[in-house]
Amino acid sequence: MASLSTDVLVIGGGATGTGVAWDAALRGFDVVLVDRADLAEGTSGRFHGLLHSGGRYAVKDPRAAEECIAENRILRRITPDSIEDVGGFFVTTPWDDPAYADRFAQGCRDTGIDCEEIDPAQALREEPLLNPNVSRVFRVPDGNIDVWKTIWSMARGIQARGGRVLPYHAVVGIHRDGDTVTGARLRGAATGEEIDVEARVTVNASGAWAGSVADMAGIEGVRVRPGRGIMIAMNHRLVNTCVNRCQMPTDGDIIVPIRTVCVIGTTDVHTEDPDDHTVLETEVDAMLDDGEKLVPGFRQARALRVWTGVRPLFEDAKAEDADTRDVTRAHAMLDHAERDGVQGFVTITGGKLTTFRLMAQDTMTAVCKHLGDERPCTTKTEPLPGSESGETYHLGERLSRKEARLADDQLICECEMVPRWRLEEAVQRRATTNLDDIRRLLRLGMGPCQGGFCIYRATGILHSLDGLTAEQADGSLLHFLEERWKGVWPVLYGDQLRQARLDDWIFQGVLDVAHLPSSEREPVATP
Amino acid sequence: MHYDAVVIGAGTAGLVAGARLAEGGARVCVLAKGVGSTHLAPATIDVLGYTPARVSSPAAVFDEFAASRPDHPYALLGVDAVGEAVRWFLGSVAAGPLPEYRYVGDLERNILLPTAVGALRPSALVPSTMAAGDAATGERVCVVGTRSLRDFHASLCAANLRRAGIDARSVDVEIELDRADANTLGLARRFDDPAWRAGFAARLALKLRAHESVGLPAMLGLRDPHGAWSDVQRRLGRPVFEIPTLPPSVPGMRLFEILRATLRRAGGRLVVGAEVVSADRSGSRIVSVATAAAGHDARYGAPWFVLASGGFGSGAIELDSHWDTRDRVLGLPLRGLPEPGEPRFVGDYLAEQPMARVGVAVDSSLVAEGADNVVVAGAALPGAVPWREGSGEGIALASGSYAARLVLARSGAPAGAAA
Repeated sequence: MASLSTDVLVIGGGATGTGVAWDAALRGFDVVLVDRADLAEGTSGRFHGLLHSGGRYAVKDPRAAEECIAENRILRRITPDSIEDVGGFFVTTPWDDPAYADRFAQGCRDTGIDCEEIDPAQALREEPLLNPNVSRVFRVPDGNIDVWKTIWSMARGIQARGGRVLPYHAVVGIHRDGDTVTGARLRGAATGEEIDVEARVTVNASGAWAGSVADMAGIEGVRVRPGRGIMIAMNHRLVNTCVNRCQMPTDGDIIVPIRTVCVIGTTDVHTEDPDDHTVLETEVDAMLDDGEKLVPGFRQARALRVWTGVRPLFEDAKAEDADTRDVTRAHAMLDHAERDGVQGFVTITGGKLTTFRLMAQDTMTAVCKHLGDERPCTTKTEPLPGSESGETYHLGERLSRKEARLADDQLICECEMVPRWRLEEAVQRRATTNLDDIRRLLRLGMGPCQGGFCIYRATGILHSLDGLTAEQADGSLLHFLEERWKGVWPVLYGDQLRQARLDDWIFQGVLDVAHLPSSEREPVATP
Repeated sequence: MHYDAVVIGAGTAGLVAGARLAEGGARVCVLAKGVGSTHLAPATIDVLGYTPARVSSPAAVFDEFAASRPDHPYALLGVDAVGEAVRWFLGSVAAGPLPEYRYVGDLERNILLPTAVGALRPSALVPSTMAAGDAATGERVCVVGTRSLRDFHASLCAANLRRAGIDARSVDVEIELDRADANTLGLARRFDDPAWRAGFAARLALKLRAHESVGLPAMLGLRDPHGAWSDVQRRLGRPVFEIPTLPPSVPGMRLFEILRATLRRAGGRLVVGAEVVSADRSGSRIVSVATAAAGHDARYGAPWFVLASGGFGSGAIELDSHWDTRDRVLGLPLRGLPEPGEPRFVGDYLAEQPMARVGVAVDSSLVAEGADNVVVAGAALPGAVPWREGSGEGIALASGSYAARLVLARSGAPAGAAA
């Protein structure tokens, strides 16, 4: 059996875990980061993309609000390449308690969030599709963040510092030597091969799955309540500003414009199983109705895709009621030396994407104590790879790059303007045959046609790059189509159904992928 | 404007119905929001490819298939209607605007042609420019691609053909273009130029081995495809065949040209860019339809209408965000909808979707329920899943032909009389 030895083993390749590994690498520790699937395939990759100003928590959870605005400012410095400075509105619609607006403004003042009340007429000039009956509008520094970009930037940084990043490696056991956790056993999804990792400290950053990882370490009582929420991506940026309802946070009260789409979110339903991705028709209907309240005519726009994410809400004794939104959004860091008398093991869970860096910092500070080697945290100031220029992303970025190279820059995905060289580079850098991994890296197939045109092209390119058999290429193609369909069918109506029918004709008619030479499929995974 | 018959939709079914009505002496107008399915499809004539087992002879299994699916258009039309429509089609191609361009094949045997991903797809009739791809020839095959064309991947195609037992390899030929995002349509225009294709053939010839036929993406000319194809074949000294790939479909555009010319030659009119937005009724009959076109609106009256506007794919049938389904063209009742509370779609992409067989409800004469003078043809018909069955063009040709026959037979007689 293969074995590795490291200072810090991080379990969970979401924003928090990758952030911990990045922090560790910057502090000069050797680190191994593992995830059972791809990086950012769990909760981190399944949110609406909001970089919080903190406004959402200004009234209800001032501590969370303060953390958000502080981290918002830091992330704009260290990973501007992932962030688009779209700004945010909090708007009082006819369905919102008008008294909340003053409490909101006061909450922002108290927590240090830059907040300016503007004339609703001005807001409508900036966002012409916004409900014209909004009575009050506040501008806050919300933004959007391409979390895949952030996480893979950190992963590259970790690797550049000698750390190892192992997606598609599930933890199958945690090693304990008496009262000390000494590492974990991994199993690779592609080969089934097992690897023993010996680590001085193991960090459980598995989010909504933190309870089961703690169980594996023989630590009891780590309970994370998964709160399941749905989000729907619409095919246009119906708004170019993050638009929030000015009310206590509830379902369907935010629209986030991100890249070529906008995302409406979200619901919050307690679930027992963090891998439960059920989407109910009633939830979709309610979300579309909520969309109508913010943007009249919302139902006429095309819904591209729906997905669910699970919030990892660490449970404390006072939160036994069913609404998981009431559990604090602040994070929970459990030093199991203090809590359980177990050395070499730390759990970090809860929190939200905007505060991942802070969570990582707190975690690594505890890890340093375990290691007996306290080194300063530099994640506040060290830019992530790719963000050295300090410029934030802007919407026309891919288009301007394309227009500069019309003759030699072949577009593979027209919806998301992904050029061929970028696809080839990503395939080689990631050494993956999984088109879904490529999708998360490049947004390939995430636009209105949902892969109708680009996925055949990408499969052909994947195959022509070295070492891929036709079986593997066909498997990647079919796997992508099946994964895509899961998010498409629950919101399939209107023009998007037309699009889906065209895609059916392309894949099942013109290409006849249902009758490829062998029905046996190769498993798809990153080697 | 008044006609003997108005056809709505300019896909294969609508153009066939229009052309055959005009040939039968009717004054006919074909109205269409845009060009139809032809520009998206491979332009092979698929009659019955899967039941779901792969069909080797459509004629042999047709009756059994129709009997097992009494709601299918084929159960109403019968195999003879398909055979008659195919014969008419072959005549139209021969008399068409593309010199010497032909279709080959019949209902007795499906031809298995490679797709762009290298699957083998069954079609009853195929353009002669594709015929040498027939897997039954047992020929060694060299699939030719070019990096300049993102819509065709020769190495993947050849690798899958090898898995299917065909001795296939691939080569890449360089094509210089002034823009990186060319598609097969842009390249087809180049192949119309004899000097350009001579240069291409010379570069390709250097890479070929003895005794192998050549598969190229379907782009061998638009104005004179037979000339382009036979020229390339002669220069390479071996069989050459086209492989259909992503839209826009060059062979589909040729098919559209052939059917449009047939319609016009017979005196029919085609108005593209004219979406039907409303209809006037008198009792159970449609009296006229109104179109919205750039610059002016117009009204078209007729004693008969052929509804060949397609299904969900064209937008003629719509499922809205409140999960209500309707015929957007004439507001006619639909059939094939899942029962209330039943799923509309299922999570397995390659499974048959419950919404797949929705169409405009018809009686056994393909006359629409609730509109006595509307005959339905093509993908607007309920009961079929053409992209899974490989039955789209068979249904379109047969139902378009049938609709024309029915209208011609009943013209003059009161609506509702026997054909």
